[in-house]
Amino acid sequence: MKLIELFIQYFPSFTSALLYTLKLTAMSLFFASILGIVFGLFSVSGNRALKTLTKIYVDIIRGTPLLVQAFFVYFGLPQALGIRMTAIVAGTITLSLNAGAYMSEIVRGGIESVDKGQMEAARSLGLTYPIAMIRVILPQAVRTMMPSIINQFIISLKDTSILSVIGIRELTMNGKIIIANNMEAIRMWTIVAFYYLVVCTILSRIAKALERRMSYGK
Amino acid sequence: MASKISVQGLRKTFGDLEVLKGMDVEIQEGEVVCLIGPSGSGKSTFLRCLNRLEKTTAGRVIVDGNEISDKKININKVRENIGMVFQHFNLFPNLTVLKNIMLAPVELKKMDKKHAEEKARQLLERVGLADKADAYPIQLSGGQKQRVAIARSLAMNPEIMLFDEPTSALDPEMVGEVLEVMKQLAAEGMTMVVVTHEMGFAREVSNRVIFMDDGVIVEEGKPTEIFSNPREERTKNFLNKVL
Repeated sequence: MKLIELFIQYFPSFTSALLYTLKLTAMSLFFASILGIVFGLFSVSGNRALKTLTKIYVDIIRGTPLLVQAFFVYFGLPQALGIRMTAIVAGTITLSLNAGAYMSEIVRGGIESVDKGQMEAARSLGLTYPIAMIRVILPQAVRTMMPSIINQFIISLKDTSILSVIGIRELTMNGKIIIANNMEAIRMWTIVAFYYLVVCTILSRIAKALERRMSYGK
Repeated sequence: MASKISVQGLRKTFGDLEVLKGMDVEIQEGEVVCLIGPSGSGKSTFLRCLNRLEKTTAGRVIVDGNEISDKKININKVRENIGMVFQHFNLFPNLTVLKNIMLAPVELKKMDKKHAEEKARQLLERVGLADKADAYPIQLSGGQKQRVAIARSLAMNPEIMLFDEPTSALDPEMVGEVLEVMKQLAAEGMTMVVVTHEMGFAREVSNRVIFMDDGVIVEEGKPTEIFSNPREERTKNFLNKVL
């Protein structure tokens, strides 16, 4: 079978491309999670300035394509600021900002889904807002947020393919380069798709297991 | 002697809606005061103003000498001294019964873990739920949840307890067990403010009954006076409907 031959032949090259994809995903999601939590907390806070700031951030990210965001960060910012940026750095920044905005919405939704009485009960015991948030509200919010967070992780993982346009040799870019040489479009794109499919499936399986473990007292 | 709780000219509006239209109440240490009245009369809002769960629009609320609408006071410190029990229990579902009770004393560094656990187990004993320490709230009946909620409030050793319709969400057969715990508290001299529809409890346990309607106090007095000889027409109407 030609397909399996090709798979084996390009296995080393795809392994390194897969590592790029995973590295890019992991780093972006790490920063995106921080951004998501911070801006999520901003948007449920009583502070109007912080809320507005968050709304502007989310609206900009949601209202522009990831591709344009990538070009803006990789080509636009260095020119405007007179700095140099590798494609990996630009890719990480882009994806972090992008996923961070969506995550902040997930965090906001999760916190808002927790019954208001929980915060009132915690505060009436004398607990401060941050402690009540950390010990009472967030642990409950995370449970509702989990499916959406994993969903966002999978979306971001697949979004790394868009970063092939700024020259990062991740899975998609790797496939493109190989096809340019061997012209095996149908088989090579099958192989590329296969890699994404495997990683995404593993990720969602982990998520399911995690969700099951997080139910308490049932 | 200064009152334990002193409310002067309290007003509260939500947007255009005036819920409390100027209330004056003095509550002494060890007193058990029941607030009764039709729904929407402002009873719960009044109670929630006492620990600043609702910000007051005007007037003064003084608890233990602290003006609680004062921005400079540490409201968390004041709240440590005021337990609150809610209609819907509001137990923390992510924590076991024991951890629910221990959370505030440990987080607020009132006690170390070992002490807090001892105290929590004592409190559970007191409300008759010693065997439920490791259960999660979802595994308890309504009456059990409410008793845990009372134990949780008591963990901070408050001098005042506020009850916001503590039995309204319970099945009828569970009301008794919660009222029993509250009676016991009253007998021990706890200062209590109770919003309730349990006229039996108000009559039997409270020192004073306040009848509220439409954001004002219509009538107040000893339970025997209010229930046997209400002076005001509105009180009579209300009592005729509920008794």
